[in-house]
Amino acid sequence: MNNSRRSGFMKQKRKNHGHSSSKKTASDQQQEGNDVTRREFLGGTGATLVAANTLPLRAQETREGVDIEPEVADVPRTAISITVNGTEHRTEVEDRWTLNEFLRDHVGLTGSKIGCNRGECGACTVLMDGAPVYSCSTLAVWADGHEILTVEGLEEDGELSTLQQAFMEHNAPQCGFCTPGQLMSATALLENNPQPTADEVRHALAGNLCRCSNYNAIVEAVIATAGTGGA
Amino acid sequence: MAVEPLNTVGHDIPRVDAYERVTGRATYTRDIKLPGMLYARLLRSDVPHAHIRSIDTSKAEALPGVRAVITHETHQLIYGSGSISGGRQYNDSVKDITKRLRHMFSNPVRFVGQPVAAVAAVNRHVAEEAIQLIEIDYEELPFVLDPEEALESEAPAIWPDGNMAHDSQNRQEPIGSQLGDIEVGFQEAEQIFEDRYTTAFVQDAQMEPRSALAHWEGDKLILHTPTQGVSNCRHDNARDLGIDDHQIQVICKYMGGGFGDKNGSYYFDLIAAMLSKETNAPVMVELSRKDDWLGTHGRWHTVQDYKVGVRNDGTVTAIQMNALSGMGPYLRRSGNIGGIDVYGCPNIDRKIYPVHTNRMVSGNFRAPQYPQGYFGIQSMMDDISYKVGIDPVEFALKNMRRPTEDEPFTTYTLDQCIEQGAEKFGWQNRWRPEPGSDSGTIKRGAGMGFMMFGSTISPSSAIIRVDSGGRYTLFVGVTDIGPGAKTTMSLIAAEALGVGLSEVDIVWGDTDRCPYSIGESGSRTTTSTGNAVMQAALDLKAQIAAKGMPVGEGVLIASATPNPSSDGRRRMCFGAHFVEVEVDTELGHIGVSKYVAFHESGRILNPLPARDQIRGAVQQGIGQALHEELLYDVRSGHPLNAGYYGARHLTHVDAPEIEVTFIETDDGLGPFGAKTVGESGIIIAPAAVANAIFNATGRRMKDLPITRDKMLGALV
Repeated sequence: MNNSRRSGFMKQKRKNHGHSSSKKTASDQQQEGNDVTRREFLGGTGATLVAANTLPLRAQETREGVDIEPEVADVPRTAISITVNGTEHRTEVEDRWTLNEFLRDHVGLTGSKIGCNRGECGACTVLMDGAPVYSCSTLAVWADGHEILTVEGLEEDGELSTLQQAFMEHNAPQCGFCTPGQLMSATALLENNPQPTADEVRHALAGNLCRCSNYNAIVEAVIATAGTGGA
Repeated sequence: MAVEPLNTVGHDIPRVDAYERVTGRATYTRDIKLPGMLYARLLRSDVPHAHIRSIDTSKAEALPGVRAVITHETHQLIYGSGSISGGRQYNDSVKDITKRLRHMFSNPVRFVGQPVAAVAAVNRHVAEEAIQLIEIDYEELPFVLDPEEALESEAPAIWPDGNMAHDSQNRQEPIGSQLGDIEVGFQEAEQIFEDRYTTAFVQDAQMEPRSALAHWEGDKLILHTPTQGVSNCRHDNARDLGIDDHQIQVICKYMGGGFGDKNGSYYFDLIAAMLSKETNAPVMVELSRKDDWLGTHGRWHTVQDYKVGVRNDGTVTAIQMNALSGMGPYLRRSGNIGGIDVYGCPNIDRKIYPVHTNRMVSGNFRAPQYPQGYFGIQSMMDDISYKVGIDPVEFALKNMRRPTEDEPFTTYTLDQCIEQGAEKFGWQNRWRPEPGSDSGTIKRGAGMGFMMFGSTISPSSAIIRVDSGGRYTLFVGVTDIGPGAKTTMSLIAAEALGVGLSEVDIVWGDTDRCPYSIGESGSRTTTSTGNAVMQAALDLKAQIAAKGMPVGEGVLIASATPNPSSDGRRRMCFGAHFVEVEVDTELGHIGVSKYVAFHESGRILNPLPARDQIRGAVQQGIGQALHEELLYDVRSGHPLNAGYYGARHLTHVDAPEIEVTFIETDDGLGPFGAKTVGESGIIIAPAAVANAIFNATGRRMKDLPITRDKMLGALV
């Protein structure tokens, strides 16, 4: 396939999906968030989450039903503040929620996946303050005060990261279910070690299983991004 | 035969949905959230065999947030074609006659992990809490885990008339085939060898655990579920629910891997539908990883006894196999064991007995009956080649099946795959004429395997439309489980129409919007649905030539459901694998240091994902050879290591680099001569690895997986 066709395809896709213009600045978010207390939130909206900013479109569509609270109200909750993909979320969470549940069910960021929900497969990997963590094995309350980056945050101003581009070109996703986790672990690796060897890539991604077993292509994509040509 | 790239076909093309897959925008079943949606959890049997005396759901029902609790006492459906299937998905008549029914919830329970109740609640935490409040009084029964023990006369009876599986006519007959005269074959032999090989149960273990999201619009069921075939899934569920096909819409957009685990329908589709009906709300059934591991299926484990007759020049004169396949208590798939067919031996006698046990259910996993069987027969033959003093490559070339006048092939390249593969691998330098002859603690050696796999073309459908703006829309009922069916279908259409790939849109994975497609099983989507796409596109192109492009609001539409014939010729893909291993004789660690896979799959439509189908399949085969097994505690009947960590699945650091080469052909059938790819790469990996281990160590490892402890035990 020639390059012009490929880049044309990319542009078309981006146009269809880009919505990053709705992002607000950190100070905007702070102000809006401060106006809402827990009681007002519970009594008023009945929703289980207040995000301190304009959420991505999908999140607005996917709140839990308003009838949940009265029935299961005695669950311990804690007020936390988490920055996700540059956006601060001030909210109450149930103490039993994992970070993954918080992101997927309550912020609406469904990119990180649940493959095992017990710290074996790595499909749920996100970055916490730049370090990869299994979001299935991290409670949301533990992420209080921390910065989270998910796969949805890798794109900047509608531009894919170099790593994402390389994943596309090297066929790194097969079924795609492990891909978000692979991308996050590899992003953290390249941040700390911009010129990894193939062996270093394998060890950095050892916690991210791929049952399609497309391991060779994933390593090739990371190496291509680093420009180290293997070794 | 030279096969040159075409305009679109034959070039490395990134997936048309690669963007969605690298940005987290690809929407899998569990990513969908509908207003008012409830979450469901299943309670599973924690005993291997028992009658349920009573189920008390009162505490669960009283828990705030619980909307419904259902059990076999409240909701009962026969799932699948009873014992014959729960998956022999194309055979409705079987359901009418089978005597071994599988139910949505069963009493008695016959394996640890069998569903006994389900809860729908306002969130998953409440649902999880509720299932723990359900109290079940079990009357435990004796159980049996081992297929050989299950056939003994005093074995616990899982079914009233014994534990051997029924065939589709309710007969307890072995699966088998006979060719020539086996006794004559043994008389012609100068040496006779007998041996036993066994393979372990391995889970498909696709990364996406199963879910099912059901809701009803009047008497129509809308079902989002990860399935390797929306059309078959719809039909299976309609049959089991007792409604018409058109009363179900099955949707599967993105799916996190299948490998056979997601063929057709599954019982949790029915449970989601029942809970949704009961609660009048959308219900999402979510399986945990352990639920998925024990509550779906994996590759059947086998015990294979061989007797092979050979002349002193290495010519095989007779192959006899008697084998058992462990199927769990229900028959989800045949239990067949393949592989012998790749030998041209004139006298063959195969008998395979599928046996019921109180383990979890066995079913399809990538090339369902082949990696087990190829491991058995090609280990056996490799061993014989040493014993008669012939290089295994020579032995293969001497004894493999070749085309004859009575048995023509559309194309035949198995000899080229073996010869060119051996050359690329450097067989002469890497193979040790004296097995285990390396000095030092790390011993190297080389092994090989070779295979052929069916590449038939079955009926499937496609619709393609063009509007006045020049946009082409392709409607195909494929689901994209990983190999890249959407991309393949799109590029076939673009090539046949003579337009750019970017001019073709695709509508997929939805039974209300797409015509019948055969489903992502048997590696048939490219050949079967791809052929329909090609025929429809050629029809549309002819219409455009005759009528001109549509104008205004007009459209032109073409459809096709071809059923081409190969005129009695066998249509197969071929492959030969060459492996070098390093065995650490002190630690038992086995590493793959070189792996060359040579394949012929007709014309390769898109080399990039085709290469990775082979590479990924080989890695899975290496996992089956060296790591994976579901172990059971013989005293309790409980599985011990359900999950990726426990079953020791390959990770990045375990996965060697795989070198893939395709020999391309065009037999004029299928879309541009394409044959099957997806399953072919896994078939001979276990055999080739085991044969390399023999060459390195001089130890014939006869039981998969070849774990470190077994290796060390053999080296003592």
